[in-house]
Amino acid sequence: MNFTNLQIQTESLPKVEDLVLKPISNSYLKIIILNKLALYAGLIALVFGFKYFIEKKEDVELNLWYMIFVVIVFCILNLIVSLLAFKKRKYAIREHDVIYSKGIIIHSMITVPISRIQHVEESRSWLARHFGLSTLKIFTAGETGSDLSIKGLPHVEAKQIKEIISDKINGNN
Amino acid sequence: MEITDFSQPLRQSSKGIIVIFGFKVFQFFKKFFVLFIAFGVSLIRGKSFANITPTMILLGIIGIIVIILVIAILKYLNFKFYLSKEDFHLSSGIINKDTTIIPKSKIQNVYIKQNFLQQIINVVSLKIETAGDKKSEIEISALDRPTAILLKKRLFNKLSVASEELDLVDHIEEPEIFFKVTLKRLLLEGLSQNHFKSFLLIFTFVFSLYNEFEEYLQELKLEEHIDDFVQLDEDTLFNLLITNVIIVIVVVLISLLFSVVKTFIINFNLEVVEHQKTVEINKGLFNKVSLSLMPSRIQNLVITTNRVKQYLGLHSLSVKQAMVNQKQQKNFNIVALEKEQLNYLINKLLLNYIAEGETEKPSTYFMRISALEMLSLGILINTVLLFLFGVEMLLINFVFVPLAVLYVYFAYKKAYYRISDNYITIGSGVIDTITNILEIHKIQGIKLKQTLFQKRSGIASLVILTASKAVTIPYITKTEALSIYNYLLYKVESQDKNWM
Repeated sequence: MNFTNLQIQTESLPKVEDLVLKPISNSYLKIIILNKLALYAGLIALVFGFKYFIEKKEDVELNLWYMIFVVIVFCILNLIVSLLAFKKRKYAIREHDVIYSKGIIIHSMITVPISRIQHVEESRSWLARHFGLSTLKIFTAGETGSDLSIKGLPHVEAKQIKEIISDKINGNN
Repeated sequence: MEITDFSQPLRQSSKGIIVIFGFKVFQFFKKFFVLFIAFGVSLIRGKSFANITPTMILLGIIGIIVIILVIAILKYLNFKFYLSKEDFHLSSGIINKDTTIIPKSKIQNVYIKQNFLQQIINVVSLKIETAGDKKSEIEISALDRPTAILLKKRLFNKLSVASEELDLVDHIEEPEIFFKVTLKRLLLEGLSQNHFKSFLLIFTFVFSLYNEFEEYLQELKLEEHIDDFVQLDEDTLFNLLITNVIIVIVVVLISLLFSVVKTFIINFNLEVVEHQKTVEINKGLFNKVSLSLMPSRIQNLVITTNRVKQYLGLHSLSVKQAMVNQKQQKNFNIVALEKEQLNYLINKLLLNYIAEGETEKPSTYFMRISALEMLSLGILINTVLLFLFGVEMLLINFVFVPLAVLYVYFAYKKAYYRISDNYITIGSGVIDTITNILEIHKIQGIKLKQTLFQKRSGIASLVILTASKAVTIPYITKTEALSIYNYLLYKVESQDKNWM
């Protein structure tokens, strides 16, 4: 019988903290900025619209500049945070698992063992196609919390990873 | 007893028509409830509603009922099922014919249920749940009990060739009723529940009623009378206090009653039957359910108790399985267990579970963060009360501050985690004492979380994701978190154990 029961040295286990995670494609930053700009434009338009409608109905004068100021400060802060957070979006594929880390205010690093993956999906939005990027979605049987979606991977690489994972899943079954 | 042959296409018991009919009528009335009220109101006012007379409405209702009956009969006639060697086949549908085939190996769970109507006409419904999406459930709504039990047994036997032998074995080995709840224990269970939630719910309800009632009084211009009445006492504040105390007492009584009645209805005649491999739960007053627990499908065990319950020897065990919908999840709850019975059941469901390994506590950061939470809650409550009622209401801090301190103290005291060779045990709770147990090889993913503020103190939280729920080891040092992270990943990836 080929059975061993050696003591596990926790120090010698593969360490996730020593791993060099790969950053996602830089072009994804453009997508983030474009998305954010669209959002901010919407917000500012909302402020103007709000003022217009309120003043028409009721005879109150709202301080437009004050409101715009608040919104712009919010936008700038939001943009700075998302630019900084972009640097935190990193991923790695190991022999047995997929790791994805993100977030600056709340940093999280999630690992899904490949043997627990149910299926992999690679999807591209219109904008992502334009920049040659795609999103890799990894589904597990767990609650929504354990599903990964790695955004902003170069299209070729996403396809490769998808192939590797699919092969491994099918190999295991 | 005549043994039903499941290899031929079968219909349900003819009483199924009644069940389908009852269900459809109920559904119909539920859907058009608002419409009926509108009709009713306009009828009472004596106005004809768009030229419709009461007789026409009556005729309409009779017509609808006849249509529903016809649909029920057609549904019954078109509903056929049979068992082949490896699959369960079902054909249904009146106009659109559906054929469903479920491989026996994919069946997650088989429940036997009995609602009020089914209890009257003495049939049961059998529900088959698969691991697929939430919609792929099948319900056979009327079978007599022996047939249902036989069918259930057949569905669980993966090899139908060996089924005859297995049946024989099962017949010889009479399953043993392991635990049966007594009325007294059920009563105690209801009384000793954490009433805080139902208390808050009912308190808001009663309070809004009271407010509403006050407005109503004002509308009737009774206010002057009441003012006179109040002024007789001279002390308005005292009077208000008395009213509020009475409200609180009434609310406490109602919430007690509420919990007791709820516990009774859900857990009436709770029975835990032990089979060779599975454990069966039977319970319910209006809705009788019977469910089987398969050890291999269990993802999480949650044990809940509290101080009072511990003293009375009452523990509840809730079993979380994969892919079970929220409504069903509640049924996997066994209440009012003795300590020994609890330990026995845990050992039955999780092989070789021993509370071994070192018990570790979260970092003291846990206390700081819960104190901060309580502080912000306190500030919020204070500002709201200050604006709404004035300075006197700040007296509430005399109640709030000790409660907050106790909250922080108990939350930290009850928090611990223990990682052994095969199991993770996590303790939590404030009023309740909650113990979460899961098997390491059932982990679906691990997440390390750290906020910007925690980074400075070197603190992180670990979220362990399974197929049924996520459990958190809160606020431990980052080095500790990483070593657990690596250890669990190693455990999951090096073993070739399936999670289901």
